[in-house]
Amino acid sequence: MIPLSWYLVMAFMLIGLGIYGMVTKRSLIRILISAEIIGNGVNIALVAFAIYNPVYSYVGQGLIILVISVAAAHTALAMVLMLMYHRRYHTVDLGVPIAREVHSNE
Amino acid sequence: MQGFEVLFESIEFLLIAGIVLLLAYLALEAKDIVYAAFFFGLMASVVAGFFLLLEAPFIAGMQIAVYTGGISALIIFGVLLLPRAQDSSLEVLPTGRARNVGLLLSGVVVALSATLAFVFPWYETFDESVVAISQDLQALAEWLWSGHGVYVQIIALTILVTLVGAIEIMKMEKAERLSPLKADFGIEAEPEPETGLEKTEKDEEDVPDPEEADNE
Repeated sequence: MIPLSWYLVMAFMLIGLGIYGMVTKRSLIRILISAEIIGNGVNIALVAFAIYNPVYSYVGQGLIILVISVAAAHTALAMVLMLMYHRRYHTVDLGVPIAREVHSNE
Repeated sequence: MQGFEVLFESIEFLLIAGIVLLLAYLALEAKDIVYAAFFFGLMASVVAGFFLLLEAPFIAGMQIAVYTGGISALIIFGVLLLPRAQDSSLEVLPTGRARNVGLLLSGVVVALSATLAFVFPWYETFDESVVAISQDLQALAEWLWSGHGVYVQIIALTILVTLVGAIEIMKMEKAERLSPLKADFGIEAEPEPETGLEKTEKDEEDVPDPEEADNE
């Protein structure tokens, strides 16, 4: 059987990639995709822990089902917020409102 | 034979890991945002391969149904609904400094966590005296639906609350546009931008009634 640490390293690599995306990208959609990539990494770590530790096998799997459903729900909410942002600022770039505020203060 | 199976499983793992990392990178860096969303959907479905390797087929099915079928489709619809999001030429590329900060931060996270994953004695924390439960689907279904229905109820409630919240936010935004919400929340809506096409009372007085003009 593959060692648990392999799965954990894979999960942390996905989390690291997601963090990179969240820090560098300015488009809201890219940031949402980054958040989902982080979520996928967390899921891999959770499932690996659940399967490798027989005591928490079913509890872990139940938890994963909950996490996946919550991920779907928060994506739907994020899309609504993004739609509102687009209506108000006519862009999906996070930096634009800040730039406008700085410009208006000057 | 056992050694061959372990080798085969390791190769499978490395192959899936490579594909997942490549697709995740493409989802972040693909120039066209629609392609990025498609790459994300593909990545989510390949991640299900890890769950199959871990002998958790139900989670793998759920991953494909929710992430590939639901979330990535939602992102694609979102992109199609937002005209400014589709135009990749409008996207501001990260500066060298932001890229360096991102690389540094993610590098630190990956390095620290990978060290923890390799060094920490996970197996000693697991209780080996307990007999491993078989990973069959029927037992999981029985455990989830008959014994621990509260999980399913929490999921249902979460999704319901999110849907109600999303609809309410949309309605609030519409109400804010139509009339100022002074009394309830103490916030005032932003005035509509002046387009120069608004009719003033004076203008209305000046314009003669077409019927009267015809009679004259």
